[in-house]
Amino acid sequence: MTKKYETEAPGYTMTTVMEEAARCLLCHDAPCSKACPADTDPARFIRSVRFNNVKGAAETIRENNALGAICARVCPTEKYCELACSRTGIDCPIDIGGIQRYVTDFEQAAKMDILKQGKSNGKHIAIVGSGPAGLQVATTMLTKGYAVDIYEKNEKAGGYLTYGIPEYRLPNDIVEYEIKRIINLGANIHYNTTVGDDIMMDDLKANNDAVVVAVGASESKVLPMFADNENVETAVGFLARVKEAKGNITDLPENAVVIGGGDVAMDVATTLRRLDVKNVTDMAYEEFDEFKASKKELKGTREAGVTIVDGYVPTAVNGNEVTFKHRHIDSEMTIKSNKIILAVGQRVNAANLNITIDKHEEVPYAGYGTADPKVFVTGDIAQGDKTVVWAVRKGKEVAEQIDKMIMGSTKEADLVGGNE
Amino acid sequence: MIKKDLSVDFLGVHFENPFLLSSSPVGNCYEMCAKAFDEGWAGVAFKTIGPKHFKVDEVSPRFDELTKEGTPFVGFKNMEQIAEHPLEQNLHDLKKLKENYPTKIIIASIMGTNEQDWEELAQLVTEAKADMIEMNLSCPQMTSHDMGSDVGTNPELVKKYCAAVRRGSDLPILAKMTPNITDMVPAAKASMDGGADGIATINTVKSIANLDIDRKTALPTVDGKGSVSGFSGKAVKPIALRFIQQLREAAGMEQLPISGIGGIETWQDAAEFLLLGATTLQVTTSVMQYGYRIVEDMKNGLMHYMEEQGIDHLSEIIGAANKSIVPVDSLNRDYKVYPKIDWDKCIGCGRCYISCFDGAHQAIQWNEEARRPTVDIDKCVGCHLCNLVCPVGAISTGEVVMKPGREGNPEDIKIESPRLTHF
Ligand SMILES: Cc1cc2nc3c(=O)[nH]c(=O)nc-3n(C[C@H](O)[C@H](O)[C@H](O)COP(=O)(O)OP(=O)(O)OC[C@H]3O[C@@H](n4cnc5c(N)ncnc54)[C@H](O)[C@@H]3O)c2cc1C
Ligand SMILES: Cc1cc2nc3c(=O)[nH]c(=O)nc-3n(C[C@H](O)[C@H](O)[C@H](O)COP(=O)(O)O)c2cc1C
Ligand code: SF4
Ligand code: SF4
Ligand code: SF4
Repeated sequence: MTKKYETEAPGYTMTTVMEEAARCLLCHDAPCSKACPADTDPARFIRSVRFNNVKGAAETIRENNALGAICARVCPTEKYCELACSRTGIDCPIDIGGIQRYVTDFEQAAKMDILKQGKSNGKHIAIVGSGPAGLQVATTMLTKGYAVDIYEKNEKAGGYLTYGIPEYRLPNDIVEYEIKRIINLGANIHYNTTVGDDIMMDDLKANNDAVVVAVGASESKVLPMFADNENVETAVGFLARVKEAKGNITDLPENAVVIGGGDVAMDVATTLRRLDVKNVTDMAYEEFDEFKASKKELKGTREAGVTIVDGYVPTAVNGNEVTFKHRHIDSEMTIKSNKIILAVGQRVNAANLNITIDKHEEVPYAGYGTADPKVFVTGDIAQGDKTVVWAVRKGKEVAEQIDKMIMGSTKEADLVGGNE
Repeated sequence: MIKKDLSVDFLGVHFENPFLLSSSPVGNCYEMCAKAFDEGWAGVAFKTIGPKHFKVDEVSPRFDELTKEGTPFVGFKNMEQIAEHPLEQNLHDLKKLKENYPTKIIIASIMGTNEQDWEELAQLVTEAKADMIEMNLSCPQMTSHDMGSDVGTNPELVKKYCAAVRRGSDLPILAKMTPNITDMVPAAKASMDGGADGIATINTVKSIANLDIDRKTALPTVDGKGSVSGFSGKAVKPIALRFIQQLREAAGMEQLPISGIGGIETWQDAAEFLLLGATTLQVTTSVMQYGYRIVEDMKNGLMHYMEEQGIDHLSEIIGAANKSIVPVDSLNRDYKVYPKIDWDKCIGCGRCYISCFDGAHQAIQWNEEARRPTVDIDKCVGCHLCNLVCPVGAISTGEVVMKPGREGNPEDIKIESPRLTHF
C-alpha cells in the first residue's frame, strides 16, 4: 500500500541528462545562476555536465550548497532559477532541478567526498535546531575550522526534511545521506535535547563563541474553532507520523478534508491519496489566481485525484461537519468527513530562547543579529522566503557574518598582542 | 575542488597545464590571449604571422557548420588565411604577452613563402621573446601555392624550410602538419631532419561541408561562389587521433614530441590525445563555439581522471595507449560476444530490430505483441550495432563464445570497460 507513497519519480539517465543539458544555451552572465538564492550556480554545473565533467558539476553544487541533493528535489525552481532561464524565450526552461538531481545522485554513486573539514581554529559554535538552516551553518563553519555542536529537540536531525516533506518527493535515504556527510565533516549532534528546557541558552553561550538559533516554525497553527476537536489533526503532525512510519499507518480515514492552499496542504492531500484514501477534498482560502502552492505541487495534487475547491474559508464546525463560505461570492457548503486536517500555517516555538518573534513567525527585523551580540538567528525565523534553499542561503550568510565577527576580533586581538 | 598538478614539460619548456589555444582567430591579439590566460589556458600558439610582403585579404562570410539532427558544430568549415594584423603589431603583442604573463607559454606561429621569409620570421619572433616557434606548413586555403598545405605535403620543401627556421632561431621548433596527406610520416620525418623538434597536428581537413542547393555552390557562398577549404571541430577528432597514433608507431618516432590538435572540447578528448602521445593540446573550434571558459571543465575533469587513474603527473599516461593499438590483422578473431538485452530497461522502440535487419544480420526477433526483441544466436555475428542504436542502453555485451574449432577460454577475454557508463 505504501509503494505509491514511497516511490520517487524516476530521474535522468546518462543519455537523457545530456539531452536536457544540450538544451541549455550556456548563456553569458547566466540569469539562472543569478536567480538561485543559495548561489548553487546552475549555469556552471550544467556546463560541466554538457562537457562530460559530472564530477566537476558535483563539486560546484556541493561547495555552494550543503543540501544540493535535497534542493534538487524540493526547490520551487519555477520561482527561482527556472523562472529566469533564457530558454523560456524558445520553449520551456531547462529542468535545472532534474539535472541537479542527476549530478548529486552521481556524486553519491561515485562515493565522492567533496567537502573537507577546515584546520581547527580553536573556536566553538552551538546551533539550536538541525533543520536545513542549522545544517548549512554547521557545514560552512566546519569547513572554516570551527568545532560545531548542534542541539536538536527531536530524535532525528533534519527538521522538516525528515519530519515534513513526504517520501515520494524527498526520500528519507537522501536526507540521511546529506546529514551523514555533515556528521562525517565533524558535526556533533545532540539529539532529544530541547534548548530552553534540557539545556539553557546561558550554558550554550558560556561554552561557545557564538550561538545560532535555527528552530524553524516547527508547530502547526490551529484555528480556534477547531481546538480540542477529536476529528482534527494538524498537517505537520500528520506528515511526520506518515513519514516516520514510511506510510504504514493504520488509522486512515475513508475520506478527509484538508484545509489550506499552500504546499503543506498539497502534501497532505496528495499523501492521503497515495495512501489510497478514497475521497480527499482540499478547501483553500486563496483562489487559483493567487494560489500559494507551487505549480508543480498543485499539478501533482490534481493528478493524485484530490478535489480542490478554491476561495473558501471555514466558518463553523460541528464535530466532523465543517461549513465553508466563499470569500467573495454568496456561496456556502458543508462537508462531513472522517477526518479534518489543518494546513493553515506553522508557528515558531521560541520558549526560553530569548528571541522576539512577531506575528509573521519571524524576527521583527532584517538580518541575523539579536540583542545579544553572541546570539544569531537563521532559517525560517529570519526574514526572507521560507524555503529550503533560502534556509541554505541564510545559513551561509549567518556563518560568514559570525566568522567575520569572531576572526575579525581575533585578528584585532592578535594585533594588540592577544590575551593568552 | 580537486587540485592536481597538470603541468607538462614539452621540448624543454614547462607548461602549467597542457591546454593551449591553437593558432587561429582565438589567439589573434593581446586582449584575447590575456583573457584566455586569465581563464586558465597555459599558453597560445598565436595566430600565424606571415611575411610583410604577403597581403592577407579575407572573404565574408567565411564559415560554415556541419550539423546532424539537433546538434550544431559537429564540424566547422573556415576560409580564413593567416593573421590580418600588421607584422609589427603582432610582434609587439607577442612581446607584451610574455612581459605581462611570464609563466604562460607564447608559441609564435609563422609562415613564409621562401627560405628567406622563414628565416627572417624566425629571427623576428625570437627577438620578440616567444618561447617556441610553430611552423604553419598546413593551412589548406592559402591564396599562394608557396604557402600552406601545398608545402606540407612536399617533404623536400618541408625539410628545407625547417632548416631555414633552424638557422633563424635557437628556440624549440614545432612543425604543424596537414592531414591532407595519406601518410604523415615522411613529412614529419623531413621536418625533424630539417631541424624541427616536434610535431603539431592536425591542421584543418580540406572539405566541402554543405552546398547551397539553390545557388548550386559550396557554402559559405561568396558572391555566388564557394571553395574547398579547411574543416575542424569534433568531426575531425578521429582523423587527428589516427595520424598521431601512426606517427608514434613509425620506426624511430616512438617518443616523438607531439602537440595534439583537432576537435578537442572535453577532458575526455584531452585524455585521448594524451594517451596517444600528445604532450600539449591545442584548441580552436570549441573555443569559437563556446568561449575560453571550456578550459575550466577540461582541467577539472582531467584532474578527476588523474585521481581515478591514481597518477600524480600527466607524463605517466602520455602515449600509454600506443602499444595496445595494433594492426587489424593482430586482433583476436577467435571469439564473438553476443549482445545481452535487458528487458526491464527496454522500452520497446524496435530500433535494434530495424538496424539489425537493415544493417546487420537479421538476428533480432521482434515479438509484436510484447514489443520486445530477442537475439537469435544462430544468426547473430556479435557486431553490436544494436548496442549502439538502443536509446536507453538496454543492450550490453553478454556471453562470450569461442568460434567453432578455436582455442581459448572465453572468461579470459576482456570485453567490458570498467568505466561507469550507464549511470
Ligand atoms: C510539509 C512541508 C513541505 C515543505 N515543502 C517544501 C518544499 O517542497 N520546498 C521548500 O523549499 N521548502 C519546503 N518547506 C519549507 C521548508 O521545509 C522550511 O522552509 C525549512 O525546513 C526551514 O528550515 P529551518 O532549518 O529554518 O527549520 P526547520 O526545518 O523547521 O528545522 C528546525 C529544527 O529545530 C528543531 N527545534 C525547534 N525548537 C528547538 C529547540 N528549542 N531546541 C532544539 N531544537 C529545536 C526542530 O525540531 C527542527 O528539527 C516545506 C515545509 C513543510 C512543513
Ligand atoms: C577560423 C580558423 C582559422 C585558422 N587559422 C589558422 C592559422 O592561422 N594557422 C594555423 O596554423 N592553423 C589555423 N587554423 C587551424 C587550427 O589551428 C586547428 O589546427 C584546427 O582548427 C583543428 O583544431 P580544432 O578542431 O580545435 O579547431 C585555423 C582554424 C580555424 C577554424
Ligand atoms: S538561463 Fe537557462 S539556458 Fe541560460 S545558462 Fe541558465 S539554464 Fe542554461
Ligand atoms: S561574429 Fe562579430 S565580427 Fe563576426 S559577423 Fe558577427 S558581429 Fe561581426
Ligand atoms: S533498441 Fe533498445 S529499447 Fe528499443 S527495442 Fe531494442 S532493446 Fe528495446
